[in-house]
Amino acid sequence: MLAAAWAGLANAGIFWIFDPKGTMADTNLHYMIIDVVIMGAIVGITALLVIWFMWKYSKGKNRGKYDAHWSHSNTLEVLVWGIPIIAVGFLAYFAVKGTFEINPYNPTVITKHMAPKGDPVHVDVIATDWQWLFIYPQYHMAVANELVLPVHTPVFFRLTSTAVTSGFFIPQLVGMIDVMPGMRTKNALESDRIGVYQGIASDYAGAGTSWMTFPTKMVSKEDFQNWVSKVQASPKTMTYASFNRFAEPYINVNHRVVYFSNVESGIFDHLMMEVMNGKTWPLPPAMTENMVAYMQKQAAEHRD
Amino acid sequence: MLVQVPGGWNPLLGRLAIDQIPYTNPILAPLFVAVVIGAVIILGLITYYHKWGYLWKEWLTTVDHKKLGVMYIILGLVMLFRGFIDGLMIRTQQVWANGPQSSGVFGAVHGYLTPFHFGQVYSAHGLIMILLAATPLLVGFMNIIVPLQVGARDMAYPYLNALGLWITAAAVALIMISLFVGDFAHNGWFGYAPIFELQYSPGVGVDYWIWTLELTALGTTLGGINLIATIVKMRAPGMTWFRLPIFTWASLSANIIALTSFPALQVALFLVACDRYLGSHFFTAGFGGNLMLYTNLFWIWGHPEVYFVILPAFGMMSEIFPAFSEKPLFGYITMVAASFAIAGVSWLVWLHHFFTMGAGPDVNSFFSVATMLVGIPTGVKVFNWAFTMYRGRITYTAAMLWAIGALFLLLVGGLTGMMLAIPAINYMVHNSVFVIAHFHSMLLVIVYAIFGSVLFWFPKVFGFKLDEFWAKTMFWLFSAGSVLVFVPMYMLGFMGQTRRLDYVFNTAWHPYLVTEEIGIAVYCLSVAAFFVLLYVSIRDRVKNRVGQDAWGTSRSLEWLTHSPVPFYNFAVTPHVNARDELAWRRHNGINEAQPTQYVDIHMPNNTGVAIYIGALTFVLGFALTWRMWWLCLLSLVAIIALMIVRSWRGDPGYIITAAELEKMEREAMQRQQQVEGHLPHHGGQAVPGGAMAYEGQKVSPLGTPPSSGGDHH
Repeated sequence: MLAAAWAGLANAGIFWIFDPKGTMADTNLHYMIIDVVIMGAIVGITALLVIWFMWKYSKGKNRGKYDAHWSHSNTLEVLVWGIPIIAVGFLAYFAVKGTFEINPYNPTVITKHMAPKGDPVHVDVIATDWQWLFIYPQYHMAVANELVLPVHTPVFFRLTSTAVTSGFFIPQLVGMIDVMPGMRTKNALESDRIGVYQGIASDYAGAGTSWMTFPTKMVSKEDFQNWVSKVQASPKTMTYASFNRFAEPYINVNHRVVYFSNVESGIFDHLMMEVMNGKTWPLPPAMTENMVAYMQKQAAEHRD
Repeated sequence: MLVQVPGGWNPLLGRLAIDQIPYTNPILAPLFVAVVIGAVIILGLITYYHKWGYLWKEWLTTVDHKKLGVMYIILGLVMLFRGFIDGLMIRTQQVWANGPQSSGVFGAVHGYLTPFHFGQVYSAHGLIMILLAATPLLVGFMNIIVPLQVGARDMAYPYLNALGLWITAAAVALIMISLFVGDFAHNGWFGYAPIFELQYSPGVGVDYWIWTLELTALGTTLGGINLIATIVKMRAPGMTWFRLPIFTWASLSANIIALTSFPALQVALFLVACDRYLGSHFFTAGFGGNLMLYTNLFWIWGHPEVYFVILPAFGMMSEIFPAFSEKPLFGYITMVAASFAIAGVSWLVWLHHFFTMGAGPDVNSFFSVATMLVGIPTGVKVFNWAFTMYRGRITYTAAMLWAIGALFLLLVGGLTGMMLAIPAINYMVHNSVFVIAHFHSMLLVIVYAIFGSVLFWFPKVFGFKLDEFWAKTMFWLFSAGSVLVFVPMYMLGFMGQTRRLDYVFNTAWHPYLVTEEIGIAVYCLSVAAFFVLLYVSIRDRVKNRVGQDAWGTSRSLEWLTHSPVPFYNFAVTPHVNARDELAWRRHNGINEAQPTQYVDIHMPNNTGVAIYIGALTFVLGFALTWRMWWLCLLSLVAIIALMIVRSWRGDPGYIITAAELEKMEREAMQRQQQVEGHLPHHGGQAVPGGAMAYEGQKVSPLGTPPSSGGDHH
């Protein structure tokens, strides 16, 4: 029954890593297949060899010749060193090639073919305790806890944190990148497949990490423009002062999404500099010792 | 106070106050009651049977490397159990807290652990399993086996050895008391900047974490010094480097890593302590701190540490495979070279723990290729074990099953490790449960090697074999548990589940989480089988007694002395003629040769100083955690005073006279006669080429040479 359930689920597209929907994730899978084929062959053959020896040289079965002293063979020594050396040499080539192809700062799989695809979208990502703020500097707007992007368009991220270190990860679109306070990392993605893909905070950042998820919606270019207009019409705005309130610890159990229009330009760099100058948004001690009580307190503060 | 800590502080108790005791916690409070009852029962039994004197004289003040080793192993097994319970709690939380509809109890919105507690549980699980279970278990085995394998009477520094144990025990006590007094860190076992800074972890948990790690690092460093000195300086006559048993080689390479890498950890943690206690900014995000500096420093120790634990495990496997294949290890020189290659490369790979940091492709490429290089010597080792079985005569004892299990796990861990070594793959699975499954595969290699070693060397230390049926039952249950837990975990990694989720948002993962939980249940059965194994074996110990060569096919020097090993190890230091000395002697018919004459031997005295200092380091750690400055000062002064007193007095040791020795040896041989049905062959029979069985003792010509290869009983 369990096996049947497994088989059913395996076909339901839940193996996100095997079901990439963007250029970056495609490339990850490509290298994974190369590696697993080469290493799987070696490991598989070795496993069979061991099993065969176990069968053949089992004591009392007299299947193989016993030699109490045999412990050296130059031929085998060459093989046991040679096979791993060749395999590692071969894989090293792919490892280096792949590292450059999906270098998060300049992924050649995207940038090499970028020109005909039109202008990229830039997104500045700020992780707080425990929300995501996605700033679209080109449109002077921002969205909390939801990422909407157009298909057929390269997207470039700059990422920082105003709290602790976390990770930015959309399994079907792009691999992980650390998001660190006082530092700026980069990432990029491109997809031509419309859909909603799960975004995850991939590094433990404290009590609210598990709820720090965000849907990533890949939409058509027209839908994206419509959505931009909608966000730009939001009554809520985001300035450095209002960010201070936003960045206070908040566990996003109800997956709240907020739109901000008229985002102060340069807020990303400004906040990063503030953090480098020592600005923090500290946590109260043992804040989720009783999480139910904490959630009631958070709700009472009317920040939802 | 240089830094402001939230909550109260008073000069006497520091931050300690009644509200720091989690007496209202529905999990910890009953556990505390159970622990107190258990402790009262144990202490009561010791008192009732008047065993305090025995305990003090024979165990707590001992400097005997075998008894210290046994205590290390008991400590490690206890912590392995505690770590397993933590693992059980993590798995139970994840299978329960799955999806928005899942229920919650004990103040948790989902499941039964709040994020505050879940973070502590997995941090403690990791720290305990690596540093307070695997490390003491391996150090324990190195302690017992290495001096025997090199033919020494004890470690080079017996008192230092005891000190290492008791400091490690202090670390264990510190992490255990964090359950009931205050709380533990939630920043993962390796810590993360800046989450461990005061702003984000204002409680005492991180302080417990710092001082537990500092103490265990100190204990392990002391052990490392001792083992290296023992191997380099205490080898029996005739034991050239290339006659060194392979486990001793593995221990040497591992301890060189330990001695050189643990100081990096101690410095890194000292800097964390500066941030938290003195208000410095080494690893803060602001004020010029650099949080990735911590991560680099930690893994500069952390990755060598991984090989510090895996190399002795490889050494154990390299002892078990030949013994039960009845032939020498294939490619001994290659094996030694591979161990040192792994040890050397271990210094060049730390950055693969954070390829996602955003380093450039040049840096990532370097560390990627360096990491893959580890696969070469590791692959060589796997092939060598396979070819050790080739043309062998394999007996599937429980010890051999564990070793073979370790080999297969290593294949799985190697396959997935080579995936993680490639950044283009790593970005997708880094910090996912795929990584968890990978390093559990590798750490299970160690656990399998340890259980194999427990079975393999148990008769040497205690004089009787463990029950094969229950050992095999435990093996199969444990292996079934491993498959059920970690196969779904690999699959969940491919589904994108990240690690350390106290609430699992995706309900599609539920069947896999349930399967993992079933695996945990099977693991519980294997734990039960282990206790049955101990009970049955101790019950049947008379029936299962063994002579010096417990398995009849053992190969190295430790099997040359009696089982159980007398406190002086060898009555007369043996002369080493070959790489596999016992196999060589068996082949030449002198495996039971006894010395012709005894001489006085010099042994170290017991000392209580080690356990006093150990206890004081615990007090120091506890006082530092709670910021009781007067107690810090007091314990520190006491430690230094004790060290001075001990150094001043030194230890003259004592002499066992030849007559006493002969008496003890005669009794030991009589015991052996009862087991084996005949007395050991007396006299130093000679062997070809002017070889000697015992240093400086005459040898007489050998009668008829035994037939080649017919060395089984």
